[in-house]
Amino acid sequence: MSTILTYISITDGKIKRSSLEVLTRCNELAEQHGMESSAIIISDNVTGAADQLKKYGPSVIYTIEDPIFKNHLNTPLLRALSIAMEKISPEVLAFASTESSKDILGALAANRKAASLADVSEFELTGNGVKAKRPVMASKIISSVEATGSPVILTVRSGSYDLVEKPADSKVEEIPFSFSDSDLNITLKEIISATGDKVDLSEAETVVAAGRGVKDEEGRKLIDELATVLNAGIGASRALTEAGDYDPSLQIGQTGKVVSPQLYIGIGISGAIQHVAGITNSKVIVAINKDPDAPIFEIADYGLVGDLYKVLPLFIEELKKVKRET
Amino acid sequence: MKFIVCIKQVPDVNAPLQIKDGQLIQDADRNILNAYDASAVEEALVLQEAHGGEVDVVLIGPEKGKEAIRKALAMGADSGTHILTGGNENYDSYSYAKILAAFLKDKQYDYVLCGKQSQDTDAGLTGSMLAELLGLPFTTNAVGLSKDGEQLLVKRQGDAGQEMILLPSPGLATCSNDMNDPRIPSLKGIMQSKRKPVDTIPITELDADVGPDDSKTKVTGYEEKPKREPGKKYEGEPEEIAKQVAQLLDTAENVI
Ligand SMILES: Cc1cc2nc3c(=O)[nH]c(=O)nc-3n(C[C@H](O)[C@H](O)[C@H](O)COP(=O)(O)OP(=O)(O)OC[C@H]3O[C@@H](n4cnc5c(N)ncnc54)[C@H](O)[C@@H]3O)c2cc1C
Ligand SMILES: Nc1ncnc2c1ncn2[C@@H]1O[C@H](COP(=O)(O)O)[C@@H](O)[C@H]1O
Repeated sequence: MSTILTYISITDGKIKRSSLEVLTRCNELAEQHGMESSAIIISDNVTGAADQLKKYGPSVIYTIEDPIFKNHLNTPLLRALSIAMEKISPEVLAFASTESSKDILGALAANRKAASLADVSEFELTGNGVKAKRPVMASKIISSVEATGSPVILTVRSGSYDLVEKPADSKVEEIPFSFSDSDLNITLKEIISATGDKVDLSEAETVVAAGRGVKDEEGRKLIDELATVLNAGIGASRALTEAGDYDPSLQIGQTGKVVSPQLYIGIGISGAIQHVAGITNSKVIVAINKDPDAPIFEIADYGLVGDLYKVLPLFIEELKKVKRET
Repeated sequence: MKFIVCIKQVPDVNAPLQIKDGQLIQDADRNILNAYDASAVEEALVLQEAHGGEVDVVLIGPEKGKEAIRKALAMGADSGTHILTGGNENYDSYSYAKILAAFLKDKQYDYVLCGKQSQDTDAGLTGSMLAELLGLPFTTNAVGLSKDGEQLLVKRQGDAGQEMILLPSPGLATCSNDMNDPRIPSLKGIMQSKRKPVDTIPITELDADVGPDDSKTKVTGYEEKPKREPGKKYEGEPEEIAKQVAQLLDTAENVI
């Protein structure tokens, strides 16, 4: 039986929600087309993740385990995926779109002579490939695309599909792999970890994002306080990651991350299309901006017009009250 | 170090767009140098200013693409190659990567730089495809480049933190616009660029094995992104609007 394969990414032993969203979609497609939906985990430690994964319905969970996968490095990951594809011959290999999957997507496709589609928001099978939708022109436009041949390798934007549990009697199969340091053609010298980002932004249920209107320490304290009250992930516009006020990994938008929370609150952000490109998957958008004509108000469900230094402290107090009452 | 920077001309996403019969209609007069490529050129120039070397650019595109080459030369790049296309071909990232690989295969360089993605399509594929086709070590999403001995030290923005990666030569990196603010060409730069060499190679003269219609991926149509339901603006007293919205987020939206 032919296979649709989902790559499962894990951080700190936990499966990323976005991978499970992709797996859910692949389960659905496999059922429609009489195919097998399988998954692959490539990590320095697969044990816990393989067990967690059984709740989400893959027929086979392939694993590749090696200490080299402790940190992201494209060379061993490409090697592992080539071996896996050789063995499994999937019709489709699907990833959640992350910096790690974007790092290897093109190279893997060229290596396998496969068609590839990056960052799709919908996809289905056509019989001789994949048909998909992709946001383009800073997400102002949706393009319909078709990829032909087998396999097709694609990445999917977070928040594109809802995750559905589907307990299964998955078989776990380890794929042999070996890699020596001398096979590495690049050297990872150091990892500078993001400071203060406790909640993974691309998976956060609530996101508080700061823009250029947040001018100083006092403003950043208000952002922190709001995020604490709402248990939110903190993000920022390019204006503030560029200024060094927030870590670059917190940038939301075309260059930065796509978020898909239930609630996004943009504070002192004008709403440039490149920023908006990363937030339109949010369920509810709230904006605080002193300029009533700021473009962010065109997409905000709730737009508070006012000086953030006046509005935000009051908003935080009101939210605390609401929380106490519920 | 010698850099070859792959640059692309793209439609300005801020220009008005129209969709007619599923086709995207853009004003070709509003084409620009891809922002990510401008950052790649800028970073190569900064390294050249500090350590010497050479910065060349290469672009695949129709006649109009010359503008983007001129822009890079006006910023300070030394020379350009224009791989000339007719303009109506259906090339995807893989086709561009194959054409670039055919051009680069017998060239001398230390590093090839690409943008991390095209600003109009956000594909982000060409760079690592090209690296694979040329058999080069590579890294993507660079937010900083510096020289470390004879190698390039790349600061890569990963999912959580930043990775410092030593990239041997010859190698390839794709660049984020978070790396720098590209310089605006000076009048002098613009004047000088007119005297800089641009080599034009008709695509048919390259042994790239890419037909105009054999891309594995195809765009079949465009539509506007569905608009979000218009929301409501709250413009009253700060006390009042803060309270109203906080309560609605709880009672009407249930997201608190
Ligand atoms: C290729 C490309 C990719 C890009 N990618 C990204 C990306 O991923 N993410 C991103 O964010 N940007 C990105 N940008 C940049 C983007 O175009 C904007 O420049 C950026 O988003 C602006 O950030 P901002 O809204 O914080 O700042 P500004 O546009 O300067 O807006 C600041 C806002 O704060 C308001 N304000 C000021 N003071 C107060 C106050 N006291 N109270 C309330 N409101 C106040 C102002 O009215 C204004 O609307 C990209 C650009 C390009 C060309
Ligand atoms: N026509 C082209 N000419 C030169 N370089 C290109 C071309 N198309 C893509 N590239 C390079 O590939 C990057 C974008 O890849 P992609 O997002 O796959 O289109 C650009 O930033 C360029 O560095």
